[in-house]
Amino acid sequence: MELLTALAIGLLFAIGIFQMLRRNVIRSAIGLIILANAINLFLLSTGAYQGVDPAYSTAAGVQSDALPQALILTAIVISMGGTAFVLSMLYIISARYQTSDLDEVNGLRN
Amino acid sequence: MVALVVGLSPMRLRIATDKLAWGLAIFPMAALVAALNAWSRIADGGVLSWQVNWLPSLGLSLGLYYDGLSALFVLLVSGIGVLVVIYAGQYFQGDQSAWRFQVYLLLFMSAMLGVVMAGDVITLFIFWEGTSIISYLLVAYKYKDEEARAGAFRALFITGGGGIALLAGLLMVSYVAGGSDLATILQSGELIRSSEIYGAMLALVAFGAFSKSAQFPAHIWLPGAMSAPTPASAYLHSATMVKAGVYLLARLNPALGNTEAWFWLLTLVGGTTMVMGAYLGLKQHDLKALLAYSTISQLGVFVMMIGQEMDIAFKALVVGVLAHALYKSALFMVAGIVDHETGTRDIRRLGGLRRVMPVSFALATLGALSMAGLPPLFGFLAKETLLATAVHPSFTPWESYILVAATVATGALLLAQSGMLVYETFLGPVKDERVHGHEAPWAMLLAPAVPALLSLVVSLPDAQFLEAFLANAAAAAYGDKVKVSLALWTGLHEPVLLSFVAISLGSLLFWRRAQVRAWQDRLLAGATWNGVYTAVLNGMDSLATWATRLQQGRLRVYLSIMLVSVVALVLLLGGVPLPEATAVSWPILDFDGELAILRLFALLVAVGAALASVLLVRDFAAIVALGASGLAVAVLMALEPAPDVALVQIVVDTLALVILVLALTRLPRPQRRRAQAFTFAQSRRGLLRDGLVAGAMGAVVTAVTFVALISRPRESYLTPFFAANAKPLTGAKDIVGAIVVDFRALDTLIEIAVFSMAGLGIYTLLRLAARHHGDRGTQVDELPLPVQALRSYGIGGQLVSPFVRVVAYFVLPLALIIAATHMMYGHDQPGDGFTAGVIISLAVGFWYVVFGYYQTRQRLVWLRAAPLISSGLLLVMVSGAIAAFVNGHFLSPVDFGALLGLPLPAGFSLSTSFLFEVAICLAVVGSVVYMLNTLGHPGETTDGNS
Repeated sequence: MELLTALAIGLLFAIGIFQMLRRNVIRSAIGLIILANAINLFLLSTGAYQGVDPAYSTAAGVQSDALPQALILTAIVISMGGTAFVLSMLYIISARYQTSDLDEVNGLRN
Repeated sequence: MVALVVGLSPMRLRIATDKLAWGLAIFPMAALVAALNAWSRIADGGVLSWQVNWLPSLGLSLGLYYDGLSALFVLLVSGIGVLVVIYAGQYFQGDQSAWRFQVYLLLFMSAMLGVVMAGDVITLFIFWEGTSIISYLLVAYKYKDEEARAGAFRALFITGGGGIALLAGLLMVSYVAGGSDLATILQSGELIRSSEIYGAMLALVAFGAFSKSAQFPAHIWLPGAMSAPTPASAYLHSATMVKAGVYLLARLNPALGNTEAWFWLLTLVGGTTMVMGAYLGLKQHDLKALLAYSTISQLGVFVMMIGQEMDIAFKALVVGVLAHALYKSALFMVAGIVDHETGTRDIRRLGGLRRVMPVSFALATLGALSMAGLPPLFGFLAKETLLATAVHPSFTPWESYILVAATVATGALLLAQSGMLVYETFLGPVKDERVHGHEAPWAMLLAPAVPALLSLVVSLPDAQFLEAFLANAAAAAYGDKVKVSLALWTGLHEPVLLSFVAISLGSLLFWRRAQVRAWQDRLLAGATWNGVYTAVLNGMDSLATWATRLQQGRLRVYLSIMLVSVVALVLLLGGVPLPEATAVSWPILDFDGELAILRLFALLVAVGAALASVLLVRDFAAIVALGASGLAVAVLMALEPAPDVALVQIVVDTLALVILVLALTRLPRPQRRRAQAFTFAQSRRGLLRDGLVAGAMGAVVTAVTFVALISRPRESYLTPFFAANAKPLTGAKDIVGAIVVDFRALDTLIEIAVFSMAGLGIYTLLRLAARHHGDRGTQVDELPLPVQALRSYGIGGQLVSPFVRVVAYFVLPLALIIAATHMMYGHDQPGDGFTAGVIISLAVGFWYVVFGYYQTRQRLVWLRAAPLISSGLLLVMVSGAIAAFVNGHFLSPVDFGALLGLPLPAGFSLSTSFLFEVAICLAVVGSVVYMLNTLGHPGETTDGNS
């Protein structure tokens, strides 16, 4: 199962990057979100151990590692904020250049 | 110590005119007096030091160190500083902008004092770089002159490059010695010399010192720096800055010196520089260039002397440094006077000035005699000790022959130049009738007069103080006692005989100077080191052009390059340490757990939906596929089991979907259609390239994740603490929740601040865009509601069915209730303030879709972003501050309900954690409202019916 999970996370990562490399603004935003998902899953997999019960102090069985979970909570929120911000920037860029084609946005050149 | 305080004080003095030169001279004067005063306390070879910890965590400290060697250089820097400040005041008389020059000069003086008194190599480096930078400002003082700028750049380029090498070298030295302070380093000589990296240290430190002290082949910057105003040349480029490298080498001699490598490096470089500088000096016809080359030659002598392992060499060093500083500053200042009064420094045009400028003539003669090494001037003593070193019995015969030949040749060449300097300028016939001169004012003559006369006086007998002073300086550099006696006549020794040879040869050269110079011009006319310098510079230029060409402005290309670099780095650094096949418990493909099938299914959906978001043609469909993928990720998280994370993932995924759709609707429809069309219109090669980049990155991530998954340590250092203390300390059953709002509350505070900033940033950005479209100055919150807008419904202006509207009416209060329970019981169950906030935001988003922007804003009066965010952040701060009063720690858990004895329902506690959850919720709603308002605002869509 570990191999499959790792493979899935890697695939999500690759898809995210592939999407980010598209010319279409919306697609690259989608890519960013997929990438964030892949990274969060990866962070979860760095937990010290996998439990059978959630991390509650009343749980009977082995609890899962609480620390990476708390960190991922923060990561999800921040990546959400970041995605929203990037989206608005992409929107501004496309409004300014009247295009959704990132290749036509070449303001960095001058 | 006192000297530095006084030396630094000019830094504060920013405004002064040339009239104030006399006043400004007080500062170096004070430094001089303080230095001499403090000398009595180190006369026995002691050290005055002072240290303050600067960054103790990095082992950095600022320190001062004052011993005999420092004293010699402080004496030069401050003593000649006094004269140069006065001289510059006269030189720039009438130039009202010359205060700038004086400020640079005093700043330089402070930096230079810092270099020679630094008690820590880091301190030393900082002041060292300071001298390079201020030297740049001084050389480029006449900044409208292109030649001055080029000369200044060249000096900075070379000395700055040397500075970087020096820093690396000094860091290595302090690493090996175990401390960056000078006392430690000087005591760790054995350790340093036996270190494995001794070679690298030596090379780097020596390169730094050589570049600063204009040693071959880095000497080329010094003649270029002669485009500085003459006061700066007299001060920086003869007496002080160029001697910084000499000082550094002498200073570090007890630590780095006394090895074969040290001897050969310093002797060869110094010797080459000595002969070459003297040879090239004879070619020059600009007074200052001539003086610059003879300075280079002298610097070579000093470097060579430091390379030796005998006390007499260090006597030659200190006597030479002092003698050179005296005569060279005098000569430079006289050259400046000649330039100032006649308008030229070219000896092909000057001549016969002795009648009109008798005092200058006398001073120049004194200086030149000293430079030529003729008795009874101080320069004679310097040359005698140098020759005495060359014939020292510790050299092998061959070494001695070469050394003697080189020093005698140098002496002869310098003598010829000295003669030329005086004769061509002041004696001989008048060569150019247009050149008229007159004597300079007495104050301007005073400055060169002092060092010139000192060159004469110091060699008189009974100079016991000076002998002790120089002996002390030499001992500090040599590391052992050095005897210095300044008697002019000590009998007929080898050195005296060699001196006669040098003088005779020099006279011959002077007599036949026209032929010699003509022959010099023909020899190797084209080959100069400047050519190498220019080639290096041009090479760097074309490298930069090539690198810039990579920047085509396409974001996607940048991203690809970065990703490929990451993959390349991973591979270069040895790749991911994959476990050996035997170490892994096979089979990895186990389907034992009862939830394994569900996990497999979630993995498939996550990847499949993500893939669909690539392949689906319509953007909207792609966004929906993304949502499905995100939900599958949430399932995976729930299977961890991490219910809190899964819950947040679900709401965030939904919110992201809403925001993406909103953003999509804001793009004009034709533009969107076009975008959809070219999504797949890329060439096969481009697709392949992107696929390869993504695939490589994915492979790396797969490998890393796989290693992370199978090598889970099974035990954690930190988690047991949280697990054990969550309930007793914070009263929370949910350990994750306790970590978020209690144990790592400050993190969370920053997190919601960042999230709020994201909302605020979006708002600001989009308002900026709106202004580009001509909508000026109005804020979204303040926009008057247009009448027809009140009648518009839905996000596209279409009226949605009554049923949906009724649902919307119910959804919002329901969302508020759910949110409230999340906040109240989030401590014991999955869910927290963030989830609550997003749930409310989603309900609000639903309203935007159903009722449209204006209606929503009119009906939900409380929905104002800025007050929501600020009240949220304020609430955390206030409750955290109250906790600080109650418990003594900011954001520590306090149960107010129990504290005040309030009757609350079971399972709910009115604690700081609860208030924090509320605050998070408020901030999140506020921030999302910003996003929704700006992205959902209908005003800026270019076509209304999308």
